[in-house]
Amino acid sequence: MTEAEDVLDSFVPPWRPGPAAADEPRQLGIVVGGSLSEGLTIKLDRTSMVEGMAVGRYVVVRGSTGRRFFGIVSDIALDSVNPGFEKTPPDLSDPFVAQVLQGTSTFGRLQVAPLLVLEDGSPDPRPVKTVPAHFAPVYDASKEDVDRVFGAADDAHFFVGTPLDMQDVKVHLNLRRLVERSSGVFGKSGTGKTFLARILLAGIVTQDVASTLVFDMHNEYGWESEGEGRYRVKGLRQLFPSQVSVMTLDQESSDRRGSKTDHTVRIGYDQIEPEDVEMLSTLMGLSDVQVGALYHLHRKLGKGWIQRLLTDHAPRGESDAPDELEELVASDQIASSTLGAIQRKLGMFRRFGFLVPHAHDDAVGRIVEYVNSGRHVILEFGRYGSTLEAYILVANFLTRRIHAGYVTRKEEALGDRRQEPRPLVIVIEEAHKFLDPVIAGHTIFGTIARELRKYNVTLLIVDQRPSGIDEEVMSQIGTRVTALLDNEADIRAVFMGVSGATQLRQVLSRLDTRQQALILGHAVPMPVVVQTRDYGLELYAAVGYVEGGELQDRLSRNTALLRGEEPEGLD
Amino acid sequence: MEIAVGRIIRSSTTRFSAGCNVLRPLVPAFGALVKVSAVGGEEIYGLIYEVKMDDDPFVRQMAAAGENLLPEYVEDMRHNRQVPIEVGALVVGYRTGEEVRHSLPPQPPLSLDLMLACGSEELVAFSRRLDYFGLVLGSRDLPADELLGAHLRYAAQARDAAGHDFLLDAGRVLANLLALDLNRLECLLRRLRP
Repeated sequence: MTEAEDVLDSFVPPWRPGPAAADEPRQLGIVVGGSLSEGLTIKLDRTSMVEGMAVGRYVVVRGSTGRRFFGIVSDIALDSVNPGFEKTPPDLSDPFVAQVLQGTSTFGRLQVAPLLVLEDGSPDPRPVKTVPAHFAPVYDASKEDVDRVFGAADDAHFFVGTPLDMQDVKVHLNLRRLVERSSGVFGKSGTGKTFLARILLAGIVTQDVASTLVFDMHNEYGWESEGEGRYRVKGLRQLFPSQVSVMTLDQESSDRRGSKTDHTVRIGYDQIEPEDVEMLSTLMGLSDVQVGALYHLHRKLGKGWIQRLLTDHAPRGESDAPDELEELVASDQIASSTLGAIQRKLGMFRRFGFLVPHAHDDAVGRIVEYVNSGRHVILEFGRYGSTLEAYILVANFLTRRIHAGYVTRKEEALGDRRQEPRPLVIVIEEAHKFLDPVIAGHTIFGTIARELRKYNVTLLIVDQRPSGIDEEVMSQIGTRVTALLDNEADIRAVFMGVSGATQLRQVLSRLDTRQQALILGHAVPMPVVVQTRDYGLELYAAVGYVEGGELQDRLSRNTALLRGEEPEGLD
Repeated sequence: MEIAVGRIIRSSTTRFSAGCNVLRPLVPAFGALVKVSAVGGEEIYGLIYEVKMDDDPFVRQMAAAGENLLPEYVEDMRHNRQVPIEVGALVVGYRTGEEVRHSLPPQPPLSLDLMLACGSEELVAFSRRLDYFGLVLGSRDLPADELLGAHLRYAAQARDAAGHDFLLDAGRVLANLLALDLNRLECLLRRLRP
């Protein structure tokens, strides 16, 4: 025992569960004030050390009518019965005086946001609509309480982590609800957004609640990648070889990383439409006039418009007649300076190796086919991931077409329910580039986020700057999984459209930089701070992954069995 | 074990005084718990806040005689007093049957009733709850803080090993009662210090 603990113990004896009281929740204090909107004020009992509290922890208030109010600690403060203690602190060199005053005249105060109420006789927790009476006792939430709120694991609930300070309690996320609406994973750079997203995706694949399409900017989802601390973590393809397909835009990069890919995606110039390019207008610096000209050019030049624009000289046929492009300029339908600018800016496409004059493969069709058959698709960008234009172009190109297909099929399903398309979750990174207020109104991602589940397509946004995302889109994000954020604007954005958000701000800005996240919204009955589960061996095993060596063992065991060398135990 | 302190010479529902002729070691003592029977059968509890010796003509005369006073005369004066030693007690509660109430009794004790010093067991039983602190602290014309301090030390001694915890509990009750007067609280707590 350290010296510091010794001193503390002399003031307040440490709480140790007795043999009978081990499972009995500990009383922390009593309710002394507060309101539904501002949260409850709890005066800590003398035996509850203020230093042992933590924001984000769960407490249960036992109301006088048998109701149990479930809340989360949102702030911790020091208080005293007399403000004079601040001006003239008592002489605490006398241990007796110190022992008397601590916890009596000076005490800790908790601010608790009431979130749910558990009523006797009703199995499901309900949103809180009132507050407990004065002096209602407040307890640490017990394992049963938390289990009752977050449900046990079943085919729709997936274990994502443990509440703070409750290592043996599991928080489960309702994945069906998660995929029902668009959701977001937010957090500063380096706080484990990708790990969080990977855990969620592993859950979605395991529970088979939807198909997923991941636009994998940094090649982190499909195959092995480097985790924190230099150990390697397995990609989804390795964990679910039969359910996950990896496609790549950059075969060389995938080969270098040893990633097993199923297809190389190529997009033909003739497949690109002006809408696909318009999304890039901010990045490419296209003016409104130039964007308008794109549509005009497409109309006049037809499918080969990009190819023609990227060709410096008109293809000369047998006749010397000027081609359509030259005619457009000659007839003043398009200014030559505008045309020049467009051609210069589109020149960037030449650097994108996945763009070819004519693609023999229908990437969209293949992805839709995979998704419909229940597979999950991860699209690796290889070296193009570092080029935002390429990422946005491809994500937008594919998503627009997939979405259009879903709309058609959903409409067909209105006539025949069996035609209902399988729910699809599209994962995009750097989402604020797709959903910033300027373009969110007219891009496909803005539409998907706003349409909710109408067409069975939802987004999973992974982003570090939620403040850059359009407010309207943000308010439609159903479930928000948030690692540490400290920028005021980002915190505000995450809580947009969430009731009681002010009380949770403190919680969010106090998260650890690693493996801690606040989950709130549609998929959880109440906001929850979790120590997220490890994305490692335990999770691999939980989702049914078997190491190669063990597989080999099983094979030889089964072979032996079939040959009659072993008595029983077919695997 | 109860020891007679003296007989009541003056009483009211808030205080009573007894007269005794001699001081014995520790009886009567400042801060000690005493009791006296009332007409209705109650036992009225008090804390000794004062032990007073008034003068009388003989004492004055002898004091005036200076240093040439025979020791036998002095002893005789001390044991055969003209005016008794007066022991004042502050009423802090009463008992009817087994129930101890920390409030003022309906009637005062009668004159010449015996004032008895309570033993350890009764002291412990009386101070099991600490609701009588208000009665003591509210007596502004008495050395209330000294009185309470002395009483609590006796009550702690009567509890042996549990005395420290008793003093802590008492200190916490005082901390609540004197929340608005921090200086008084701190002085009082220092008096309680084991």
